[in-house]
Amino acid sequence: MSKNKTVRSLIQISLLVILTAGLVDCGKPPAVTPASTRSEPTAVVPAATSAGTATSSITIIIPEEPPSFNAVISDTGYDALVMHMSLLGMTGIDPEGNIFPVLASELPTVDNGEVVINDQTKEMDVTWKMRRDVTWADGTPVSAEDVLFTYEAASDPTNGFAIPGLDLVTGIDKIDDYTFVVHFSSTYPDYLSFLGGRQIVIWPKHYCNLDQGYTAWDCGRNPLSDGPYILKEWVTSDHLIFVRNPKYFEPGKPNIDQIIVSVVPDASVRETMMRQGDADILMWATEQVANDLKDASNVKLSISPTSRWVMRLFINLAAKGTTDPVATPNPLFGDVRVRQAIRMAIDVDKITSSVWYGYAQPVWTEFFRPPYNTCNIARPKLDIEGAKALLDQAGWAVGADGIRVCKGCMFAQEGDRFQFDLLTYSEYGEPLILTQQLIGEMFKAVGIQASLTQAEGSVMWADSSSGGIEQSGNYDIDLYDDGYAGIDPSYFLSYYYSSASAVPDQGWNVVRFVNAQFDSLIEETNTLNSQTRQTAFCEMAQILDQQLPQILLFTTLNAEAYSTRLTNIQANINSVVSWNVADWTITK
Amino acid sequence: MGQFIVRRLLQAVGILFLLSILFFILVNLAPGGPLAGYGGARHLPPEQAVILRKQLGLDKPLPVQYVIWLAGNDWMRVDQSAVASGTSYGTRRGILRGDFGFSFQTRQPVLTVISERLPNTLYLMVATLLVALAIAIPAGILSAVRQYSFFDISVTTFSFAGQAIPDFWLGLILIIIFYAWLKNPVTGDSLLPSGGILTIGVPFSLLDALQHLILPLATGALGWVAWYSRFLRSSMLDVIHQDYLRTARAKGLSERVVIYKHALRNALIPLVTLFALDLPYIFSGAVFIETIFAWPGMGRLYYQAALQRDYPVLLAILIIGAGFILLSNLLADILYAVLDPRIRYS
Repeated sequence: MSKNKTVRSLIQISLLVILTAGLVDCGKPPAVTPASTRSEPTAVVPAATSAGTATSSITIIIPEEPPSFNAVISDTGYDALVMHMSLLGMTGIDPEGNIFPVLASELPTVDNGEVVINDQTKEMDVTWKMRRDVTWADGTPVSAEDVLFTYEAASDPTNGFAIPGLDLVTGIDKIDDYTFVVHFSSTYPDYLSFLGGRQIVIWPKHYCNLDQGYTAWDCGRNPLSDGPYILKEWVTSDHLIFVRNPKYFEPGKPNIDQIIVSVVPDASVRETMMRQGDADILMWATEQVANDLKDASNVKLSISPTSRWVMRLFINLAAKGTTDPVATPNPLFGDVRVRQAIRMAIDVDKITSSVWYGYAQPVWTEFFRPPYNTCNIARPKLDIEGAKALLDQAGWAVGADGIRVCKGCMFAQEGDRFQFDLLTYSEYGEPLILTQQLIGEMFKAVGIQASLTQAEGSVMWADSSSGGIEQSGNYDIDLYDDGYAGIDPSYFLSYYYSSASAVPDQGWNVVRFVNAQFDSLIEETNTLNSQTRQTAFCEMAQILDQQLPQILLFTTLNAEAYSTRLTNIQANINSVVSWNVADWTITK
Repeated sequence: MGQFIVRRLLQAVGILFLLSILFFILVNLAPGGPLAGYGGARHLPPEQAVILRKQLGLDKPLPVQYVIWLAGNDWMRVDQSAVASGTSYGTRRGILRGDFGFSFQTRQPVLTVISERLPNTLYLMVATLLVALAIAIPAGILSAVRQYSFFDISVTTFSFAGQAIPDFWLGLILIIIFYAWLKNPVTGDSLLPSGGILTIGVPFSLLDALQHLILPLATGALGWVAWYSRFLRSSMLDVIHQDYLRTARAKGLSERVVIYKHALRNALIPLVTLFALDLPYIFSGAVFIETIFAWPGMGRLYYQAALQRDYPVLLAILIIGAGFILLSNLLADILYAVLDPRIRYS
């Protein structure tokens, strides 16, 4: 009996120890990025603020933790949020799409002689001049050496990362400590974003460990700051605390002493926190949140002038399970008249008003964002009867049960029913599912039967060897939102519409749109001549409008909900909300 | 008993080895992959996919990946470069030597990722389990002893409700009531915080920790209280009408001794089985509760890892979780012997 008591006591003590350990652990100073993964020297935190004398503080709430401070690797947006608070690139982009210098003292252009293009080879040299008054938080100047280091790290074949434009760079030469030249093998129109913009920043050579690699180095989670704020504390999966960088180069900025970035996974809790005044910025407010918070007197909404994300239908032009639209055209959608009928049958306004609270804006061309929004592409009209007539014309006659069957259609077998899977991804949530349902009903109204299916994003967008639905062509029509980052659509157009990208795992032309004229137009956009680019883009717009490999429906909201006590908060689709963090102020 | 424990531990090693193969195959055979939606980038440029595949070790055949995961690659020449090949030894030591690899998403060592969250989960789940047991055991006993009384009917009703109410709904309701509606009469702030473990940016206080614990604990404990009390009531009812209790009463023992020393001890044996099955939750956490209350624990980690196909994190949680289950079952067997002297292992 005494033995039993001993065992029982031991078990009780063990449980108590575990509980106590948990409590004690919470009592410890929050674990900043673990020492074992930290590189030396550690990030410099100013003594005054680290001692807790911050006087003004705001809280940003986000649903998931940033994986690191290097936004180009994972591109979750939350990494860009914290990156722009701590680190600087050569340039930034404002909400209107204007690029402005950050570490650069001026923007290199052809006019100021800092961009030189070889007329024969089209090779391009860009000379960058850097500000001389920017230092890292430890006082070391930010110099061209850091730029070369960042380039070396990113271009490392083992541990680097293919940042946009990097494949065109043949080298970077340092002229002096604050001047360097980037050599491009061909004309690269988006050269101003190559070392800046939304995703790229310069990393400190004396602090980051090149051997650890650009994608995995410790300074990616514990950076040495040259931006407005310094990371003071990172409690994994819970919060990050930033304090003002006293060495920040803009005099008198930033205005707020401390910023807390808190991870709150549940959407309704985030919304409640905004109402209660316990959070100051809710990053990426959805249409639902924007609508719910309309009546909250302490919350404002900043809506980006335009949005990147366009809800669209990706129409597989190759037969399901195949990837060659010429050898095996899609029996249903290979005929362009069918695609046109589908577009005519969708009531976009009904979807935006009933599901997206009126925040979604109808879009029908890729070229709707400035500065390339000047193409004259007319908005397609909702025309149910026209859609029916077009389907009749395409050889799809209404069957006995109201669903159309092939009677003289172009690619399907006679008697085949017009039915297919309308697929979307599950993570987006209710609005996308409701949109899918509405579209399914609209299709049914013209005699098309869509089975509504969902898949995880990691399955939809995996490579073909991993069973990726899109890459292996194993779908009929996909529905989700997409669009280009930054302000230059060239890269997006090439990856989504060029013939080369239609080959499985070689790009994201998963609709298998093959058009030689379009391919040559993509080539034509590799120029700095804005008029030539504009003309080429508008010709592309015409082709896409006629061929309809994708049907664009509407943009989703890009907005930030913020407390009325804050000013200068501006949603920015070309970057993230923290793009101007140094300008934020608390007014009451 | 000693021999029994050693034998069971050796069996556990064999089972874990088999499970490691099974887990590795299942995780890798699941459709999709870690490069799809890598981070937030849905569509990775193909040239980047090639580099990442190499960096993450996904370019090798599955059996080779398994061997590296199990035994490391610091004993073999590996191709780490996109251009060079077979020039150096690897750096991985394998799970047999305590190296669970690195997270595909954060590039941190997996054990670091887990160790940052495990204490939070242990803290919440142990506290929840203890509170649940502290309420459920007396409630179950009293319900059985006072069968069909008002108390018994109340506990039964509560139990059904507790089992029926989903965590995510209850959690949100509690937040609305105690965070959004009710205010602290002195400070005017919310009565309880909406989530997190501690108030951010203020020095630690036990009161603050307890305030943050109340709502997630209450949400998690309700189901367990309902489950355990119901189970114990039934178990006690089976026992209290048996002959040996009548004999105990005939011997003149007090009702308190009869119930707590003789009846409860036997009634607890089935409960121990239940408890042992629930112990792994102490490691794995509760996804919904952690999500609603912004609790940085293992449940959220596992969910994220599964969504992002973060294989190393996923596999580590699965294999460590399996170890917990095996140990919990062993603990249950030991507790049987402690509770019932008739049970002996040879």
